[in-house]
Amino acid sequence: MTPVTAIEPLPETEAHQRGLASRIESFAVLGDDTATFVRILARAPAYAEAIWDAMAEALFEGNVDHTLKEIIRIQLANLAGDPYFSALRSRRAIEEGLSEERIQAALGDYRDDPQFSDPEKWALDYAYQMYRTPESVDAEFYERGKELWSEGQIMELGGLIAVHYGMQVFMSTVQHR
Amino acid sequence: MQFTPQRIDAAFYDRLRQHYTESEIVELGAFIGFNVGYHTFFGTLDFYPMFSPAGELLSQEDSRLIYGDTPGSLLRPEVQAALAARSDRAADTDAAG
Repeated sequence: MTPVTAIEPLPETEAHQRGLASRIESFAVLGDDTATFVRILARAPAYAEAIWDAMAEALFEGNVDHTLKEIIRIQLANLAGDPYFSALRSRRAIEEGLSEERIQAALGDYRDDPQFSDPEKWALDYAYQMYRTPESVDAEFYERGKELWSEGQIMELGGLIAVHYGMQVFMSTVQHR
Repeated sequence: MQFTPQRIDAAFYDRLRQHYTESEIVELGAFIGFNVGYHTFFGTLDFYPMFSPAGELLSQEDSRLIYGDTPGSLLRPEVQAALAARSDRAADTDAAG
């Protein structure tokens, strides 16, 4: 996948020369072997390293199921209007059993869908409301979250949502519409 | 980027290039995106700075009084009034001690 972008991704050899070979390689887990995102950020290589590392840590590490995080990442990319990240799929999540049908269900009316548990519905609400109605993510919302998740897991979800949505909004502006 | 990202189009980037290099544009864009993401998240957590503008350690209650419930200039009158009240309380405590 190579979208037409306002910022031309650096050629892979040049990105390698800037010390980003390992980031380009690790980005392939999202299904883009050309690592367009990393090669765009490669124009500011320190940012490419720090930001992709933070995104990967948030998505692949921690104590919340990776397949749920992947659903949330795609949900956020849709909210951000970012066709690039919306189209990517975590190969690890697919290996762990995440289906396209479940992803599409999460993008629809998940609140009435019995395939999602209450903790999963709260997490999907958390991501949706964070950038649509942030004022609704209040003390009462967090109290409900604490009945379903540990505080550590809630911070893990919040960090995932923040870093991925921020970069998806940036990527949405870079792609020609 | 936060409120009307659809307005940041190819023409917008062409205009940016009149003022910044491609590297600087990427740096600005990634910085702004990161801050859009995190500050919205932080805003939901309802926490306040641990320090006053003068560098004093604050409780969350005192910090809320000083900085207020909404973002704004540290020069606005209610912030200055809260800082003055805090200084007065500190002076009274010192005098009593």
